Amino acid sequence: MSANILVVDDAATVRMYHRKMLGDAGWQIEEAINGVEALEKVANQPRDRPFDLYVVDINMPKMDGYSFVRELRRLGHVRQVPVMMVSTEAQAQDATAAQDAGANCYLVKPAKPAELVLTAALLLGDLPAARQAGAAHRAAGGTA
Amino acid sequence: MSSTELLDQFILEARECLEQIGQRLLDVEKNPGDRELLNDLFRQVHTLKGNCGLFDFKPLERVVHAGEDLLDRVRNGSLAYSGDIADALLAAMDYTAELVDLIATEGSLPATTEGRAQELATALRRHLAGPAPAAAASPGTAPAAAASPGTAAAPATAPAAAPALPDWLAALPATACVAGHTALRYLPDADCFFKGEDPWHLARSTPGLQHLQVRAAGDWGSVADFDCYRCNLELVVVSDAPRAYIEEHYRYVPDQLSWHALEAAATATATAAAPDSASTGAADPAAPGPDTAADGDPLRELLRARIARIWDDQRALLARPGIAAGTVAATRRTLAALIDGWDDAALAASLRATLEALPAGAAPLAQWALQHRPGAAAACDTTAAGGGAPTAAAPGASALVAPLEPRRGSSGGAGDDSASGGGQKVLKVAQDKIDRLMDLIGEMVVAKNALPYLANRAETVFNQRELAREIKTQYSVINRIAEDMQHAIMQVRMLPVGTVFQRFGRLVRDISKKLGKEVNLVIEGEDTEADKNVIESLADPLIHILRNSLDHGIELPAARMAAGKPAAGTLRVAARQEGDRVILDITDDGAGIDTDRVRAKAVERGLIPADRACLLSEHEAVQLVFLPGFSTAEAISDLSGRGVGMDVVRSAVERINGSVELASTRGKGTQIRLALPLSMAVTNVMMIETAGRRFGVPMDLIVETVRVPAEDIHHFKSAQTVVLRGRIVPLRALNELLALDMPPRQNGDGEHAVLVVRLGSENLGLLVDDFHGTSDIILKPLEGVLTGITGFAGTALMGDGSVLMILNPKELS
Repeated sequence: MSANILVVDDAATVRMYHRKMLGDAGWQIEEAINGVEALEKVANQPRDRPFDLYVVDINMPKMDGYSFVRELRRLGHVRQVPVMMVSTEAQAQDATAAQDAGANCYLVKPAKPAELVLTAALLLGDLPAARQAGAAHRAAGGTA
Repeated sequence: MSSTELLDQFILEARECLEQIGQRLLDVEKNPGDRELLNDLFRQVHTLKGNCGLFDFKPLERVVHAGEDLLDRVRNGSLAYSGDIADALLAAMDYTAELVDLIATEGSLPATTEGRAQELATALRRHLAGPAPAAAASPGTAPAAAASPGTAAAPATAPAAAPALPDWLAALPATACVAGHTALRYLPDADCFFKGEDPWHLARSTPGLQHLQVRAAGDWGSVADFDCYRCNLELVVVSDAPRAYIEEHYRYVPDQLSWHALEAAATATATAAAPDSASTGAADPAAPGPDTAADGDPLRELLRARIARIWDDQRALLARPGIAAGTVAATRRTLAALIDGWDDAALAASLRATLEALPAGAAPLAQWALQHRPGAAAACDTTAAGGGAPTAAAPGASALVAPLEPRRGSSGGAGDDSASGGGQKVLKVAQDKIDRLMDLIGEMVVAKNALPYLANRAETVFNQRELAREIKTQYSVINRIAEDMQHAIMQVRMLPVGTVFQRFGRLVRDISKKLGKEVNLVIEGEDTEADKNVIESLADPLIHILRNSLDHGIELPAARMAAGKPAAGTLRVAARQEGDRVILDITDDGAGIDTDRVRAKAVERGLIPADRACLLSEHEAVQLVFLPGFSTAEAISDLSGRGVGMDVVRSAVERINGSVELASTRGKGTQIRLALPLSMAVTNVMMIETAGRRFGVPMDLIVETVRVPAEDIHHFKSAQTVVLRGRIVPLRALNELLALDMPPRQNGDGEHAVLVVRLGSENLGLLVDDFHGTSDIILKPLEGVLTGITGFAGTALMGDGSVLMILNPKELS
């Protein structure tokens, strides 16, 4: 069964972009518009079908990405799910803050499609998808 | 990649953001201390900028980015919000809206927008460079620099690009030296903090920033002499942006910069990079170091380099103090996933086994991750912490290196977003879809009305009484469903009137500023709902009324003080629902309407004879402003003058079956009340007959229908009147008004049918031949050659296929 990814971002355009990019790689995408809604989705997800990866924006109303990940890490069965944080700020402090909150990986938005998919694939341990995205990434002139 | 859908989404969201931003800017101006508002404002701009990044709209991104930077400073308290900043932001957002419109129509931005965008961004950035509170200038920078006394020279000023390799490049790690990028050394003045500069921030916000390195510019001196307000920093920046952009960014400190364009160099093996070997310039980070497991498959190497990087991120994560148990578990799982990506089944299996055997907790996992760190790709080593705290310092690095994720370029993509965030609660639907639905139900209402005719034909023509009854039964079912459906669709079209009110804040602010007046705008009842069309046609009249109030009503502060009123005038817009109408009250506490001047003007313009003007009561005199061609403005201002006045407001409101009332007390203020229908999609009309023809009259104009004996009609000269319940009602024959050459007909009892209609605050009796039933119709405006005809509100298609002309009694009389 294909992996289940929760995209958390307040910008509908970014959600659509992520849905398209990650969805095209063959994964199931769910969306939430802020941390609160994301936690609700996490809580309501069937136990036998948990999310396999969270792709989380930082700056969101109600509950930001940091708080969401912190909350997530306190929950029971879903807390060990990898988190990819994605935000526009190419600043060292954001990556640090993302780590402080417990994010496994930090990407600068907007990530190139192949970049995004490649990172997600590696976090999911999805080798075929990783190879495909890696090839696309190289073709687009991307570097390691 | 088809990107239209994503682009549509972008435009939709950008417009939403801009609307919110406009609103928030005004809110923030009112409550500059409200952090929540400020955060929300910042977030909207941030979202907009983030979205811009998905496309290649450089001018747009530039303006929004400048706005974001500015707001970020305001938000973190290092810059005080001011009216000037608000002006710059408002101007920038106005232009942004224009750009978004351009994108919506053209699909791209013409190069001509670049100049203006640049101008606005510069205007915004000027505030950025403006004096910041001295205390906030550099708390983060000084200690960071203090950590590592460096080598380089004192703040000398080196002019532009040195062709020879400058020594300040030597400390740059080879991975940062990418061909085509620009390296820049920035040596801020020692007393730069007192000039309001923030070198660290300036350097960090460099466009296209790829690498940033800070170290002490000179010796720190003895501890006793240490002056924390002196800047002693050397910043080396590598950027992939065109040099012009970078120059623009640093335009206030051009004398403190040294430039160097990095060149292409072949030696990829320079990665291991002793500091001085950086002189050979670039290393392609894609090419792994010589010690990488080189099996010749570039794709595999790429993946492995990536894995190594994420692996290091996990190690850095595990090294963080106070790591949550959940994070440890997530890290463990991530490491396991990374093993799967290694593409070496045997190794993966053995690694997984050892991983599974590990005891819980961060320390054993960290140890394991270090031991089993996959293939030491040299390029990854320097970024061991993946942007986090530098762990065991890179070998030989006396400088503090902040590794940065390179800024990603933009790219587009298509998407198939379902609802907003998958939220079940609210569904956003494009307006034209609802309009289409509305048109369809309109057609259905008309089509179903054909069934009674059909039943009638079945009975009379084909003598099928049974069938006729069945058709009628079926009709009543369809009728009920259609009505419910119509009602439901109308509900969808209901919008809060606040959507119109939103722009008032900006309008009032701009106009009052222009006029030198102080005005508080109070808005109430913005949640009151009305049909979309009503709300849309409301905007212009309302804006006109507000402009009038600001222009003519509310006095200048000095005049207000002299009159014993507070300097700031109050303009109140209140909405509420009353029955099937929405009532809007627009009240100001200004000077009110000067009835003497109004009378004089009306006489002067020949709108009313002088003798009648004198007889008018105060209230009646005020109503003169509704006369077409009336305008009291002495000089036509660019605000509310231009010769159009309240008559335009009235006709606009009456076009949607609303009414206007005006009351004014001199010296106290003016009140205007608009009463509007909740919905205008379906009109209920009464059918009347005159001169053998049928016409419809909108029910909401009809006061009553009466039959009056011919002898009760009073003739006075050419006028006819009738007394109804003690009130004199003027009578006009509809035939005459419609120029139909037939006298009004009486019924068998010698009675005339009189339809009493409401014309503003007056009633008028229309003599018609007969009344018929009422019907719900969809009113279509007169089109084509009929457009110029007055006296008719429009046409409607009836169930039997005939066309009914709908009268507009206001234009008739």
